[in-house]
Amino acid sequence: MSAIRSTSSAPTLPFSRALAPARAVESGWHRTVRRFRRNPLSVLGMGIIAMFVLTALLAPFIAHPVERNPYMMPHSGYAPDPQPPRPGHPFGTTEEQFDLFYGIVWGARTAFIVALSVIASAVAIALVLGSVSGFYGGRVDEIVMRIVDIVLAFPGLILAVVIVAVLGPSVRNLIIAIAAVEWPTYTRLLRGEFLRVRDMEYVQAARALGASDLLIIVRHVIPNTIYSVLILASLNMGSIVITFAALSFLGLGVPPGYSDWGQLISLSRNWITGTAGDPFTFWYTLIIPGTAIFLFVLGWNLLGDAFRDVFDPRLQGSR
Amino acid sequence: MKQRVLAGLLLVLLVTLGPGTGARGAVEPVKNPDTFVTLRFGDPESLDPAYAYDTASQEVIWPAVYETLIAYSGSMTSRYVPELASQVPSLANGLISKDGLTYTFPIRSGVKFHDGSTMTPEDVRYSMLRFMLQDRDGGPSWLLLTPLLGKDSTRDSKGKFQVTYQDAAKAVTVDGNNVVFHLNHPYGAFLSIMAAWSLVMPKAWAAAHGDWDGSAGTWQKYNNPKLQDRYAFDHMNGTGPFKLQQWDRQAKQVILVRNDAYWRSPAKLARVVIRTVPEFATRRLQLQRGDADFIEVNRTEQSQVQGMAGVEIRDDLPTLVLQALHFNFKIDATGNPDVGSGKLDGNGIPPDFFSDLHVRKGFAYAFDYATFIRDGYRGKAVQPNGPIIQGLLGYDPTLPKYTFDRAKATTEFKEAWGGKLWDTGFKFTLTYNTGNTVRQVGAQIMKDSIEALNPKFKVDIRNLQWSSFLQATNQHKGTLYALGWAVDYPDPDDFAQPFLASTGDYPKRNSFKDPNADRLVQEGAVTADPAKRAAIYRQLTKIAYDQVPSLYVAQPSAFVVMRSWVRGWYYNAVLSPGSLDYYALYKQ
Amino acid sequence: MTTFIARRLALLPFVAVGVTVLIFSLLQFLTPAMRASLYIHDPKQLNALPDIIRKYDLDRPVYIQYWGWLRQVLHGDLGWSETAREPVADAIRGYFPATLELGMYSFACILALGIWLGTAAAVNKDRALDHLSRFTSISGASLPTFVWALLLLMVFYGHFGWFPPGRLSLDADLYVRGGQFHAYTGLMTIDALLNGQWWIFWDAVRHLVLPVATLTYYLTAVLVRITRSSMLETLRTDYVRTAEAKGLSHHVVIDKHARRNAMIPVITLGSLLFVGLLSGVVITETVFNLPGIGRWGVGASQQLDIPAVTGFALVFAGLLVLANLCADVLYAVVDPRIRLR
Repeated sequence: MSAIRSTSSAPTLPFSRALAPARAVESGWHRTVRRFRRNPLSVLGMGIIAMFVLTALLAPFIAHPVERNPYMMPHSGYAPDPQPPRPGHPFGTTEEQFDLFYGIVWGARTAFIVALSVIASAVAIALVLGSVSGFYGGRVDEIVMRIVDIVLAFPGLILAVVIVAVLGPSVRNLIIAIAAVEWPTYTRLLRGEFLRVRDMEYVQAARALGASDLLIIVRHVIPNTIYSVLILASLNMGSIVITFAALSFLGLGVPPGYSDWGQLISLSRNWITGTAGDPFTFWYTLIIPGTAIFLFVLGWNLLGDAFRDVFDPRLQGSR
Repeated sequence: MKQRVLAGLLLVLLVTLGPGTGARGAVEPVKNPDTFVTLRFGDPESLDPAYAYDTASQEVIWPAVYETLIAYSGSMTSRYVPELASQVPSLANGLISKDGLTYTFPIRSGVKFHDGSTMTPEDVRYSMLRFMLQDRDGGPSWLLLTPLLGKDSTRDSKGKFQVTYQDAAKAVTVDGNNVVFHLNHPYGAFLSIMAAWSLVMPKAWAAAHGDWDGSAGTWQKYNNPKLQDRYAFDHMNGTGPFKLQQWDRQAKQVILVRNDAYWRSPAKLARVVIRTVPEFATRRLQLQRGDADFIEVNRTEQSQVQGMAGVEIRDDLPTLVLQALHFNFKIDATGNPDVGSGKLDGNGIPPDFFSDLHVRKGFAYAFDYATFIRDGYRGKAVQPNGPIIQGLLGYDPTLPKYTFDRAKATTEFKEAWGGKLWDTGFKFTLTYNTGNTVRQVGAQIMKDSIEALNPKFKVDIRNLQWSSFLQATNQHKGTLYALGWAVDYPDPDDFAQPFLASTGDYPKRNSFKDPNADRLVQEGAVTADPAKRAAIYRQLTKIAYDQVPSLYVAQPSAFVVMRSWVRGWYYNAVLSPGSLDYYALYKQ
Repeated sequence: MTTFIARRLALLPFVAVGVTVLIFSLLQFLTPAMRASLYIHDPKQLNALPDIIRKYDLDRPVYIQYWGWLRQVLHGDLGWSETAREPVADAIRGYFPATLELGMYSFACILALGIWLGTAAAVNKDRALDHLSRFTSISGASLPTFVWALLLLMVFYGHFGWFPPGRLSLDADLYVRGGQFHAYTGLMTIDALLNGQWWIFWDAVRHLVLPVATLTYYLTAVLVRITRSSMLETLRTDYVRTAEAKGLSHHVVIDKHARRNAMIPVITLGSLLFVGLLSGVVITETVFNLPGIGRWGVGASQQLDIPAVTGFALVFAGLLVLANLCADVLYAVVDPRIRLR
């Protein structure tokens, strides 16, 4: 679970602020890109994510669907023991002979769909609640923040487990469950950003000119708050996939045979100790999905850190 | 600074490892020679013999702590030895009356309970009455209630009492040093029920701790308790070779200690520790290091323990367990995601889809039994020909059973629903209960087999968690679902009734009714002559074959995994592999 | 300060009610048959379904169930947990120490390691050490916990036999359950010391090494990131640059000036982490077979053990409010400019 919240109480001295340049968005894209490219880790992150995006987009061509539901992995037979990589199954097969290659390729799709759906839902809720709360303040703000407090006071994994246990394990319900845990963090963040932007001069000017609140929110506020959301979201992409895997481990994952890295890696727990003579007999059940998850989370973490380094004004300093 | 930290770390490491480093020799000396450690997957629900109906509880209760009047003779499930009774009743010694309605058990004297009190026939009677009259929902009381009182519950379907104390009191009486059972109807399997379920606890102890005192007027207050209502839930006082030292429900660990005042010679083990470790990898590693002597392993995990040094595996143990796929003859289609359109239009199935015999036979011929057994059970199972499985009286391997035959399947489907089905096709969802790979494999095989016959046949499979499964079953929403049956007592009636009688578990749920089957089940239960019974159950097997209310897909063999220093283990199909007879075990 | 604390504490009942209402409203989606799954475990018991529903009043409307539960709680009874097979209050009290012990030591290790790595990364920004420490910490969070847990168990227990699963070895366990050992806190390490039994202390430490290592590796990343960014921010402020210009040694600047200010977001995170540890240790407890509250809480949620989940959530929420309160008080201690409103 991402435990990151934006802290609005870090101490800053007035003079260092004055020396900081204006917000990144107002200083031009080329400066951003240049800063981005300077950091080898960010380039690495970008590269990794690009590779996964390509895999996800081209999945039907890389691994041809066999079942009616293309997300179901094909299986050749039903034998219980995983089989190592061999011709026809470049990554080997996991228990019940589900093809790991297919699972990894289509699992990239699943990872993106799940993570993006969760984030999209959380951001959508946060936009509505955060804008209302931050922009209008007062009573509404109090109520919304108390609701956020309550949901945040709930242990995250328990909430997700309860939701899935109640609704039943399916991809859709898992997305709902994880979104239900993530939305308060985004709401807090966006509310803070809305509060900050509300008091800016050009927004007040727009209001004075009589522009409708909705127009102000859409045209002025949202573009200015997008960066913090971007940072949070990119770090969240990875942790959502990990949470998905954790839920699979607890038996509340996707249906058996569904192409999902989380399920593939949680299947490995039965084989990780290998056979009596050779603990590495079933190495591929762990290494293959593990590498996929590892690279995915690593990529998004590096990207998120890079975004933060580039976009966070507090780190720009007076240099 | 950094070097100091590193040095400190090394020091800590050395000190920590010093006392604990295990020997890594090829053949290790016996670890903890007088303590036996068993690692299980599930944990006990209750230690009350009248409440518990799950294997994890049974392992602690019987035969380690509580004992029965008669016991199975070693591995035999049809021969008995006296235990708390001093003789096994039979027609020969006259302790079973000629009409089969009266069983007399002379009670052994000089047996002491764990609290030091002496066992009397009154304690035996009390235990039997308590077992019957406590009758908690979903409990084992029906096992004695049915043969003795002719009813399977003390309460009717609305929750009102339908038995009286007098009924029960008449059924179990004390006559001098004997306890006499008066059956409601002759029941050939009565002794096998006694061997597993006639567990004895002291009346005074129970009454002193807030349980029923055995009197006529108060039993209703103690009927149908909740889990925590009885002292016996987590306290044990029996006659067995081991006493309960502690049940730590948080650590999920039961510790038993040797009963030195046991009426036979004391056990060889001083202590038994039964611990719940849900994670297989952890169980297996502990077995490997010798920190555990016996662990629970699934068939699918077998390849990981095969060939482990210092570990012995015993395979091909015949069990009395039956796996089946059940047809629901009358599906509730309202709000049911599994029936598709609910009509015979190629996109669904009508609620009475499986009531057509040709449909059922088509499925029966389409399922690849051999592959299922080979891949789901690693070949260690037999395909039954009906609910009367191998090891039960009346089992006949010569009777016909369905085989994987696509041609015959096609023929049956072509005749189904007046010939329309083949051209129209169908679509439905097969459900199975999560957490069991075998059921998943079975569902997968069924799907693949059917879809291979005709592209218009579409079967989806869906895994349900237990709560949803209950929900669906309660509302008759299942279509074709997988559920098994494990033995309560080794008698064909224990299997025939739930599978074929219209009042049985599965037919009731699936709206299957065959008056012939009902008549035969009834006859088989009351007949005493084994030869006649065998004939009746052969007929029932034929009905199961002709009517196909369910597909009987596998009777699995079991295997057990233990350290090679474990001695004295023997196999009994009713006891093992769920329980161990700790009295017989020792380590060397 | 006291009014601030009082006002924050006044939040507690409000949050408590909110949390419990949240759970019970989720239960609206459960049918009585699904709720009955808590009491029925075997297909043979399926026939008892209507009776179970009747026996435990599972078909009562949710708001009546909530009211009944609330009344019970106000009398000090948190109800019975079917999954723990004991009263909810006893279960929480019993499971908590194992998780607390695990959490405590992990927290200390994460804090030490995270701040050390984060500071090193910030001071050496964009150089090799920065990349290395960030990469190491990120890699810990890049795989689900059970992977590290199982690998560690395989190598250090399966192969070497050094660090076994569970809390204590068999001998120590039997001794602890015997009459002579007095369990003061439920934390094996502390209790062993209080009882003067050094061998039990070392045994407990041995069993804690792998779980603590797993959790530390998994959760350090977040702290490293926060420490690094807050240190970076502070290092750029003028008073730090002034201190450097004045010629103060690098060490003094970092330790005395920068670290103190960097503590603030770290304290936030620390308090979050502490409570997050408590519910996030589920997988660690499962693999290493520790009788902790995380494993029980999740198991109870899966099996729809409503009193257990509600009780657990209640306690957890209370802890969170307290932890946030402590964090805010610590802020005021660390930075006098922060006023507690």
